[in-house]
Amino acid sequence: MLKKVTANSKPRSSFNNGKFMPKSSVKKGNPKIEEDFFPKIVAFCCNWCTYGAADLAGTSKFTMPPSISVVKVMCSSRVDPVQVLESFLRGADGVLIAGCHPGDCHYDNGNYYTRRRFALLNEVVQSLGLENDRLQLSWISASEAKKYQQTVTDFTEKIKKLGRNPLWVKSEI
Amino acid sequence: MENNILVIGAGITGIEASILLANAGKHVYLVEKSPIIGGNIIKFEHVFPNFECATCLVSPRQQEVLQNSNIELLLLSEVKKVTGKPGAFSVKIKKQARYVDMENCIGCGACYDVCPVKIPNEYEENLMQRFAIYVPYSGSLPNVPAIDTENCIRFAGEECNACQESCMFEAINYDEKDEELDLKVDAIIVSTGFQQHKPVAKYGWGTIDDVYNAFEFERIFASNGPTTGEIKKKDGSEPKSIAIIHCVGRDENKYCSAVCCINSLKFIHYLKEKIEDIKITNFYRDLCLPGKKYDKFAGDMKSLGTDFIRSDDIEISSGDKSILVNYMNGDAKKQLPADMVILSSSIEPQKDNNDLAKVLGIELDSFGFFQESDPDFGTETSTRDGIYIAGCAQAPKDIQNCVTQAQSAVEKALFQFNLK
Amino acid sequence: MKERIGIFLCECGPNIAEKIDLDKVKEALEHLPNVVIVARHKLFCSLQGKEFLKESIKENNLTRFVIAACSPKQHELTFMIVAEDAGMNPHLFQMANIREQCAWIIEDKDEATKKAILYIKAAYKRVIYHESLDKKEIVANPDVLVIGGGIAGIEASLALAGPDRKVYLIEKTESLGGKIKEFDEVFISFKNGQSIIDERLERIEKEDNIETRLQAEVIDVKGFLGNFIVIVKTGDSEEKIQVGAIIVAIGFELINLSQLKGYGSLDCDDIYTGLEFEKMKKEGKITTKSGSVPKSVGIIHCIGRNEVGYCSGVCCLSSIKFSKYIQDKLPGTNIFEFYRDLTLPDKAYQKFYENIENKGVNFIQADDIKIANEKGLKIKYNKNKSTQPVDMIILSPAYVPAKDSNSLAEMLRIPRDDSGFFTEEHPKLAPVNTSAEGIFIIGCAQGPKSIKDSISQAHAAAGKILASIIPGKKLEPEVRISYINEAFCIGCQKCLNTCNYGAIYFDNLKFISIVNEVLCHGCGNCIASCNSSAIQLKHFKDIQMHQEIIEILR
Repeated sequence: MLKKVTANSKPRSSFNNGKFMPKSSVKKGNPKIEEDFFPKIVAFCCNWCTYGAADLAGTSKFTMPPSISVVKVMCSSRVDPVQVLESFLRGADGVLIAGCHPGDCHYDNGNYYTRRRFALLNEVVQSLGLENDRLQLSWISASEAKKYQQTVTDFTEKIKKLGRNPLWVKSEI
Repeated sequence: MENNILVIGAGITGIEASILLANAGKHVYLVEKSPIIGGNIIKFEHVFPNFECATCLVSPRQQEVLQNSNIELLLLSEVKKVTGKPGAFSVKIKKQARYVDMENCIGCGACYDVCPVKIPNEYEENLMQRFAIYVPYSGSLPNVPAIDTENCIRFAGEECNACQESCMFEAINYDEKDEELDLKVDAIIVSTGFQQHKPVAKYGWGTIDDVYNAFEFERIFASNGPTTGEIKKKDGSEPKSIAIIHCVGRDENKYCSAVCCINSLKFIHYLKEKIEDIKITNFYRDLCLPGKKYDKFAGDMKSLGTDFIRSDDIEISSGDKSILVNYMNGDAKKQLPADMVILSSSIEPQKDNNDLAKVLGIELDSFGFFQESDPDFGTETSTRDGIYIAGCAQAPKDIQNCVTQAQSAVEKALFQFNLK
Repeated sequence: MKERIGIFLCECGPNIAEKIDLDKVKEALEHLPNVVIVARHKLFCSLQGKEFLKESIKENNLTRFVIAACSPKQHELTFMIVAEDAGMNPHLFQMANIREQCAWIIEDKDEATKKAILYIKAAYKRVIYHESLDKKEIVANPDVLVIGGGIAGIEASLALAGPDRKVYLIEKTESLGGKIKEFDEVFISFKNGQSIIDERLERIEKEDNIETRLQAEVIDVKGFLGNFIVIVKTGDSEEKIQVGAIIVAIGFELINLSQLKGYGSLDCDDIYTGLEFEKMKKEGKITTKSGSVPKSVGIIHCIGRNEVGYCSGVCCLSSIKFSKYIQDKLPGTNIFEFYRDLTLPDKAYQKFYENIENKGVNFIQADDIKIANEKGLKIKYNKNKSTQPVDMIILSPAYVPAKDSNSLAEMLRIPRDDSGFFTEEHPKLAPVNTSAEGIFIIGCAQGPKSIKDSISQAHAAAGKILASIIPGKKLEPEVRISYINEAFCIGCQKCLNTCNYGAIYFDNLKFISIVNEVLCHGCGNCIASCNSSAIQLKHFKDIQMHQEIIEILR
């Protein structure tokens, strides 16, 4: 699953350019909770269910922390494990993968693949020295705007407690 | 030949038929009496047997209807007169004013925040409130409100233009007039759907608290419904026991609606998902589970934990602490207390079927559904050439069969063009 | 050519303008490389907005643009059309959703503004890597192959055949008509089965565009929607038939009684299956083996229901019909119907049942039924507590899939469910489609059902074909689909199994996988399964998403 990490054109070379290392965080090797820490979370949302829920949450004006940045994919199964790892290596404090409920997939069975890949990814994430809690898989259907809001809020809180992604510190050494 | 086809009713059946016809290159007039499309299916949080989210299923299709240039959507509209013959029907449509411009409105919702009128929302089974300028559900499509002139105080003569003032897009026009449209069409597909049976007095519906019919319960469970998905009694507490009564309305209607058993079993999943230790009792007559998937579905639902009591004589009364289900079991009279009761009401013909049948010149059957030309070989053809019937307008059926009939009615309409 | 990129900020009336500081946004974007215009408008989806956008694209000779507005689910198509009108490929723009994902959900204006800038920059980075995607047109053969000459197959063939569309009707037995011709009367119209078929055979005879092959079977299928190549074997000769769509209507069989245990002795004299009883009725003589007229008849529903694990949905009705047969032919006979749950799922059925019951048929609800042959036939029920002696027993056995459904499923590469019936693409919205586009399943091949529902499905499949494969019109498949970079593919074939639509096939000569452009639905699942990054999804390419991801993490 990991073998594609360098498959994209540039990732490794731009790996140490320091862009994702905010100057304020300098406590090397010991990323304690910071007062003004605001997590960066990448959320991969499937077009048919979760992106729809996000839209409905917007239309319903449910407020949420601005921590989450949504990347739309047609199906959660498009999310390549490499893209998740890349997000972490780029400094994401958390990654959320969200799609249709099992059995609900617009493409019939895509989210079963997502589920399996997630299980494997969890192990990889751990081996990188990241907490498992930084990676989350959620099933949110298009009508579940409230659940979307709740998920975003809870996940942000969780990441806040975990603190900054420790990977960048390690990569600097 | 005008290359036009009229589809009446924009539920899942009408939507399916319209999309297919549009893809076949026909110009479709899709007439719908409510301000939105989607019909009854969008009331469901999940559909059996796979617990798919109904909104997720339907919204891509709704978008397709809204975006397809071959489909002309006529909302808040009704068919008033039909003359002519297949290939050359003349149709008169009455289109009520929406008072909100579909092009200019972007669905921001600023207008209903300022509306002073609050009334029960019939689309939410009156469990929620809406304004006089409203969209039926959050997330309904098209996401453009309409003004309900019967309840708007401005239309009752008072001075109010709150919504117009709030609108930054100049989308609200109080002077909009109802329109009459004359259409020329080759064929007509009737897909006006059904209404839910109103339980008779002995079931205590509307008189005893916490007695709900199936759609009401569906909305209570719905994440975009009145309780945002929490199952609560009227006093706010969590029910500990619940009775699900099947076949409500079967005696009055004298037919089986074919879907209520499976839908009732679905509720077991709903309930156990939210309240793990709730005690569920199903009162049924015959479990009607026709089809390759439903025995397994029923087995899965039963394994979640529920009692089954076979009884065809049931009365609901209110007790001191809870609701009482009085039932006959064999020859014995028995009683079961429950905190909440769900009545699985049957599918009934729309009350205005009679008027529409007269307008269209087609017949109704003894129940009030549209009469098919042959019970085995012509379930999608009406008693008049060039007019086709599909979905629950013809007989009670599940979504699968509604879609099948829509596709079949399309074939029959296209066949008429000899477009093979 | 130097890129010229435009960024358009929609105010969405007050919706965006009040929640996001668009001047600040504009400032942050103006100096990005190759950005030649950053413009705002009150409402881009309005007529004036669209016109403004179109003119801006033309005036500034834009090569790409970003529009920051509402959800792409709402207006992506709107702006694709504008782009096309402006003479641009509609895929060379990207929407940043700053309304649903910023303005409407973030309370703090500064935060919302920051976020909007982030999203727009990500869209800007992404759009640089967007590619022109051109519409493809594929010639489709309008002809149809119908496998199975029962009532469903016949109805579909008659609905489809015409001057511009040929239908090949393949039947494995020596005559058309299937099971229905064995029914003396069909419910609920009570027409004679044979005459229903005869009437249709006459029409087939007259229709030049239906070619019937009797005693024939399909032995190979290649190709896809619009272009199937089928090898049909009739007797000893094989022929190649080219069609655009295939309908599978191979019907059902009754469960083999010898497989059933727990019903007691099923192999005694005077026990008949429904089909055997139909034959007796047709011949006009309802007698026991000894030739005497039965004084009492037991009809047992749900035979084999537990074993197959589903309700066939029609046996209750046909069982009640048998009571009608007996009442018609032998009035005064005592009839006992043993049922579990009366399944009468249609508006007309209950009345039919009530009529029969009112004429004196005994309906007995029982879950455990055993047949004993002790000095005559006896039906025992209620845990052997009750016994009903009868002269004749009619069984209503469950419907099971036709024997050759397995081999056919493999050949057509379409799935079957646990019971062995073909699986529809979607149980609600696509009941006659399969996951293989262009292949349809109708009638009891899809699941046990009544004649009326089989007929509806036959016409439904015909409707789907009439609306999608139109003679003289080309197919326009989705363009945002997967493709495989031949140089990277190592031929592991992992993607083949991942694809739910059978859209990837393997080229044995080149030893690489290839994506079929007509069948791919563009979900992107195969990409994540590819070990060598050989597969890419157009418009969701790794590099495009990579740019988006790194930008939002800045």
